Amino acid sequence: MIIRNIGLRHGRQVIAASASPSCCVRALSTSAAKSATTTPRAPTNVPSFFTTPEQRARQEAIKAEIDKVPDNFKEFRSIQKKTVKMGGETHPRHLPDEMLKYPPHDATLEMLMAAQAHMGHNTSLWNPANQRYIYGVREGIHIIALETIAAHLRRAAKVVEEVAYHGGLILFVGTRKGQTPIVVRAAELAGGCHLFQQWTPGTITNRDQILAQGKLRMVDELDRDVPGFDDHIQDCRPVIPDLVVCLNPLENYPMLHECGLANVPTIGIIDTNADPTWVTYQIPANDDSLRAMALIGAVLGRAGQRGQERRYADAEEGIISWETPSEVRRFVQNTLAAKAQEKKDQARESLEPDGGREMIESDADIKKAIKELTEEEGL
Amino acid sequence: MASSRPCFTVLRGICQRRGTQWQQPLGQQLQALRITSNSLANSTSRRCFATDQPTRESLSIEAAGEVNLAALKQFGSKSRARPVPASPSYFSRIPVFNDSYLALEKLIRTYGNLPTIPTSQVERVAWKTLRDYRQTIGEQVKAGDYGRCIGLVKRLHQIHPKLKPGPVKEALEAFKRDIQPFTNVATPIVVDKFGRAVGVGRRKSSTARAWVVEGNGEIQINGKSLADFFGRVHDRESAVWALHATGRLDKYNVWALADGGGTTGQAEALTLAIAKGLMAHEPALKPALRRAGCVTRDPRRVERKKHGRVKARKMPAWVKR
Repeated sequence: MIIRNIGLRHGRQVIAASASPSCCVRALSTSAAKSATTTPRAPTNVPSFFTTPEQRARQEAIKAEIDKVPDNFKEFRSIQKKTVKMGGETHPRHLPDEMLKYPPHDATLEMLMAAQAHMGHNTSLWNPANQRYIYGVREGIHIIALETIAAHLRRAAKVVEEVAYHGGLILFVGTRKGQTPIVVRAAELAGGCHLFQQWTPGTITNRDQILAQGKLRMVDELDRDVPGFDDHIQDCRPVIPDLVVCLNPLENYPMLHECGLANVPTIGIIDTNADPTWVTYQIPANDDSLRAMALIGAVLGRAGQRGQERRYADAEEGIISWETPSEVRRFVQNTLAAKAQEKKDQARESLEPDGGREMIESDADIKKAIKELTEEEGL
Repeated sequence: MASSRPCFTVLRGICQRRGTQWQQPLGQQLQALRITSNSLANSTSRRCFATDQPTRESLSIEAAGEVNLAALKQFGSKSRARPVPASPSYFSRIPVFNDSYLALEKLIRTYGNLPTIPTSQVERVAWKTLRDYRQTIGEQVKAGDYGRCIGLVKRLHQIHPKLKPGPVKEALEAFKRDIQPFTNVATPIVVDKFGRAVGVGRRKSSTARAWVVEGNGEIQINGKSLADFFGRVHDRESAVWALHATGRLDKYNVWALADGGGTTGQAEALTLAIAKGLMAHEPALKPALRRAGCVTRDPRRVERKKHGRVKARKMPAWVKR
């Protein structure tokens, strides 16, 4: 028999902790081996000895509250649905991501002005090459002419639309803080690519190394995957963009330089302190305003979307606006030639036991076979 | 004076190069866009666009010429094939990560309004460490980027489990560690039908198993008595410290096996083993045993030797020249 005077042995804290001493009696007992001898007992309720009933009650209350959440949420939704049209008229508020949610098809002068696209830099920072975009000076800063912005923006939108229509790959670049959602949304609309992190120098000029791990897929005129090109995708060179839209040319000198070397046309937002010769198509605007960037990005994205839609519509009618690249064509021809040769070899093998008539086929026959196969494959 | 300024020099050069183009009104410029189909056909470039070759070198960047839209004619109606990037993040260094990050952001935008539960009540999940994640996707993701990504993951994980949509569950799976330590449940030690509770303890490289039964204080370790097995009094004390500290030395019998390591290791492994067995008999002794230092496994092991040192830390003796 053990004297279980926990108060003596472990001090006052133990007594205070175990609020129900009666339930602890068994836990402290070593004598009541009758029950223990019958079945092995697992101390599953051990934590209860170390928590007070208040603590347990609180935990259970929290659990019960959490269990009720789905029902409460359902009720909340139903009430919300019923009452959403009640009460006074709601006035349109300012939505920070309005341009991303509902991208406009064109930018009016009012929209450009509201987005502060006309605000240039301090007059001491200007690049005189931008003189023809500048309307005047106010409060020490240059003001960009809104008509010029709109005209250049429409010209750029036209270029984006046509490039998208002709199946070009458009890359939207915006590496400043806060430009990520803009370029992502524009690329999503235009079906292009986006870049919101630093441009890896050499992505175009050294693309065989830098983009070696990039995954490509082979698509047809409706952008459906085309099977049978796995070997070609393994071997072919990485792709480069056909058009680059850059929201901050000042920070992307290496990229624009590479685009120039690779003869890739570029569209750039040119603030009053930027060099307009860095890009092919300038859009004079305030590149420090995220609202102006969102507006311009949205308009260009929408233009790309229109181009893609036109391209799909024409492709449905059988008018295709782009040509299979020469490398792909060469791959197809080589594959088909190999197939024709194989067919010929098989035919020869099957004919040989019979006496070997027409053992040698001329090159003209192979060409004919290739032509037939090409017709079959539709390539 | 003004002409000697570099910016004006640049400007003059450009004006010469592109003078005709600049003087044209925009409408004319757009109309004047034209391309020869020869250049398209002869082009070795894989792109289906040809642009005007820049004529002269400039001091900074020679931007590509304008696109001749008129030359981008329509081709026949045969089927085509062209390679396109599989991901819109193709040109970034970490496309897989960027795609998954943007997908998570989209999920937050879509399902961010669903009710959440307090973090203390959320099911514990071990998320992939930066190293694991880098290994999984094979990209050098930056620590800050991954931290932000895991922040989004935790926010999505906080959504009430019954209201968590399928896409969210799928997206979170990619960030879970393969082995979830939080799902491991310790097997409770039970007192068997003979009244024995077996506890296992380890210390240094020793392992000890102790069968603890109610009795009158007999102790046998590897078939020997405590005094025979441990020569040092200190070791004898630490072996039965769990019983000693709780005043149960004469209430239990212990039959133990100890192996590996040295005497100190075996003695302290026995402490833990006996404490565990004792706790199976009397769970309420746990706080007392913890205060006596018998509950926690001491994880220290022999520190490895380093090169340039005599032992783990000892430096070679200083020799004059």
